[in-house]
Amino acid sequence: MADADSLTDVTDAADSAVAARVGVTAGDWRDAVRAACRPLVEQGALEPRYADRCIAIVEDQGPYIVVTPGVALAHARPADGVVRLALCAVSLATPVSFGHPTNDPVDVVFAFGSPDTDAHIGLLAALSRALVAGLADALRSVPSDAAATALVAEVARDDR
Amino acid sequence: MVRKGVDDELQVLSVCGVGMGTSLILRMTAEEVFKQLGLRARVVATDTSSARSMPADIIIGQELHTVEFEGRAPVVVAIANFLDKDELRDKLVRGMEAVGWLTPTA
Repeated sequence: MADADSLTDVTDAADSAVAARVGVTAGDWRDAVRAACRPLVEQGALEPRYADRCIAIVEDQGPYIVVTPGVALAHARPADGVVRLALCAVSLATPVSFGHPTNDPVDVVFAFGSPDTDAHIGLLAALSRALVAGLADALRSVPSDAAATALVAEVARDDR
Repeated sequence: MVRKGVDDELQVLSVCGVGMGTSLILRMTAEEVFKQLGLRARVVATDTSSARSMPADIIIGQELHTVEFEGRAPVVVAIANFLDKDELRDKLVRGMEAVGWLTPTA
């Protein structure tokens, strides 16, 4: 078992940056997407412009990133400012609406970035397995950023 | 007669706006469902604009994306929860029965 405190700021598991924040305050879905990108920007894994691209894609394509009730998966393209593979999760203090017909309200938002069109496939497969196994509820109930980051780091280690 | 998914691999597209996030999640779910159904399928995750020029037997995605594909593939399935294997399986089975690729068992 990894020491959770050592994972608070940045963890590099197989070259991917991971982060998580719990109880984040976001006024609307755009704020929530920015909050999910922010730790990865601070770590240098994403460029600051990446969050605006994630938002623009939803404005353009609709709220399809709300993949399952309560959970959104924000991302843009490799060319939109990805430095290296990155995944962050935030749980929200108050849920936000993305305008999805069935999966709103959302209180867990993931942001990921991939440096190319293939690098993230294993990571997203791991995320998919983890979500089926209850990751969103786990993120809702952990008490600290460090504990949440440990959960996301576990996903990154399951990248295969 | 060639049986789709048995003699011949089903060509399946999972679509989303960018083609590398949610469509990939949906691809994982779909691959497991086809395995459960015992059908051979090649599932490709792609964005909606690329999907317009890709031949497919089945297209799956969120309703806001699948509406434009109605009539462009024999089976078009709109799914709300990309992690829900039961929802996808039920809708796929109904769609495939409607075009005669599966025989209703009930």
